[in-house]
Amino acid sequence: MSAAPLLERIAAAHARVAPRLAGGPSWERRRRNALERLLVRGLPQRRDENWKYLDHARLGAYSAEPAAAAAATDLPALPPLPLASMRRVTLQDGRLEPALCDAPEDGVEVEDIAGLLAGDPAAALGFLRAPGDDADDRYALLADAFTGSGALIRVAAGAAPAAPVCLTHLATAAAPGTHHARLSIELGPGATLVLVERFATAGAAAVLGNLAAELSLGRGASLVHVRLHQQGAAAAQVETWVAHQEAGSRYEQHVFATGGSILRSNLRLALAGEAAACRLLGLFAVEDERQVDLYTRVTHEAPATRTEQEYRGIARDRGRGAFNGRIVVEAAARGADASQSSRNLLLSPLAEINARPQLEIHVDDVRCRHGATVGSLDEAQLFYLRSRGLDAAAATALLTWAFCADLIGRLPLPELRAAMQARFAAALPDRALLAGPA
Amino acid sequence: MNAPAGMILQVRDLCVQAGGRRILDGLSLEVRAGEVHAIMGPNGSGKSTLTGVLAGRPGLEVVSGSVSYLGRDLWAMPPEERAREGLFLAFQYPVEIPGVNNVYLLKAALNAQRRHRGLPELDAFEFLNLVRGKLAAMQMDEGLLNRGVNEGFSGGEKKRNEILQMSLLEPTLALLDETDSGLDIDALKVVAAGVNALRGPGRAIVLVTHYQRLLEHVVPDRVHVLAGGRMVRSGGRELALELERRGYDWLRTGTAA
Repeated sequence: MSAAPLLERIAAAHARVAPRLAGGPSWERRRRNALERLLVRGLPQRRDENWKYLDHARLGAYSAEPAAAAAATDLPALPPLPLASMRRVTLQDGRLEPALCDAPEDGVEVEDIAGLLAGDPAAALGFLRAPGDDADDRYALLADAFTGSGALIRVAAGAAPAAPVCLTHLATAAAPGTHHARLSIELGPGATLVLVERFATAGAAAVLGNLAAELSLGRGASLVHVRLHQQGAAAAQVETWVAHQEAGSRYEQHVFATGGSILRSNLRLALAGEAAACRLLGLFAVEDERQVDLYTRVTHEAPATRTEQEYRGIARDRGRGAFNGRIVVEAAARGADASQSSRNLLLSPLAEINARPQLEIHVDDVRCRHGATVGSLDEAQLFYLRSRGLDAAAATALLTWAFCADLIGRLPLPELRAAMQARFAAALPDRALLAGPA
Repeated sequence: MNAPAGMILQVRDLCVQAGGRRILDGLSLEVRAGEVHAIMGPNGSGKSTLTGVLAGRPGLEVVSGSVSYLGRDLWAMPPEERAREGLFLAFQYPVEIPGVNNVYLLKAALNAQRRHRGLPELDAFEFLNLVRGKLAAMQMDEGLLNRGVNEGFSGGEKKRNEILQMSLLEPTLALLDETDSGLDIDALKVVAAGVNALRGPGRAIVLVTHYQRLLEHVVPDRVHVLAGGRMVRSGGRELALELERRGYDWLRTGTAA
């Protein structure tokens, strides 16, 4: 790994990669502009308000060189997602891979950003958000500087595809490197979609994925978004999501972060239209020296908007986790309802979790609740189980399961719910009985 | 340590403290197979500390004294091993464990004990049949199996649930810590029937209670009065009646038995 400063390494990689990217002079300018702003302002640091818990040194140690994809035919088969039916969309090292995609259902359109850049660069300028200079947007700026691939997923107004769309981010590079991807998901008015998004790694190389994504829900649209971070042990992921909800739309997110060496997730969500509602449920588990750092910022911009946010974290060994969530209720958001809770479980004296729930309220007529806890298992519960003959390890596994069981139970896809139950209850015998006798 | 024949529990000069405060102060007790003992005493006399320390509750510090259970040094056994060897504590305040359903705990507890004894584990079908029979005897709704352990149970349901666990695990030594408190008369009779069903030549039961009421339904062989951290008097069941009549105050100034 090169000892040169990170920004110099990024600039050097850019000089090699950018000339090969499609999009003509307008995109050349846009990428160069993004890089120059990034070089001036730098990547986020510990001193930046929302980045204080992240291990920047570990993230900065990843190679900035492009991660070379393996041929699709050489890939080991991923364990299939337990869904009866689905339409696959696969981004392999950031690029849409047609061999790993199914034809989309009527009403769903999937477009390759690489193709769009080559064929209609002006349209791509419009579709892909230009990041700002804010520290929280700096990794998106990095992705903008390298924009060359990714996917647009659109659901037509009123469409309700029967099968979930399964979007896999698959890292396959055999050598260390970084891949950048753009993603834009757009649901027209009244559209409904179930999107299962999975991050997976086929190789053992230290690869950083950097995703800049936009999400837009039209009036009355509804999206159930399941997000499975299941990267390999050497992988890192940074993602920057910017989401926008029109009136009456519903967004439900279930994130399960159980993989990768380090994950930083940013979500900035605007409840822009009246009665728009979001439900954000998250569960992370870190062990060994893994790190998960989740940042969310939800802004209530319109009356009667609702947020329900519930995140839980489990840390073992020297695992580190962070939940940093801010909910802003603006003056226009009369009758808003926001709840935010973060509960965290430390299973080792060397594990660490930081929880920072924040409410910022600029109007009187609202209902807001928030709370955060970080603690170890309840001694009285442990003793009760041991007094019934369960050894300490079995009692710990059972109580750890109990800590996250109801969150998993709220997953709306039954097959996936069973798979997550099996994953989180892996240490327990008699799993069939966990949910009660049939 | 060799136990005399039929000896289940032998407590000698037990001193226990918690949070720096001495709670048991030279307590001795012998319980033989087939016996039912009642331990009575005023609030704060150390009754729950005694059952707690025998079951291995954390936070209690044994200062001195020995406890032999079935001829083995009890202090050498972690709580789960005591349980698998047949020691059962019915909690005064059963713990709620949301997210772990009742039936799962029952099966895990029973199979932990069976594995320990070299017996094959019960399959789901055998187990549910067994549990359903016990539930009926305890007049408990089958729906309680699917609920989180003690989660949202009424006081009476929690106590019945303790006795349900006890009847399933068929302990050699059952310690019941104020299982009768907070029960209405019907629930008390159900609980008493559960305890009486356990009585047998190979087992022993220690009832810790504040009142004489339970002892009308479960007739003890021996009654002890615990006060100031030690047994101040022991006798037959007539002692319980005397306590009911006279209260505990006369014992505080009286001589230790």
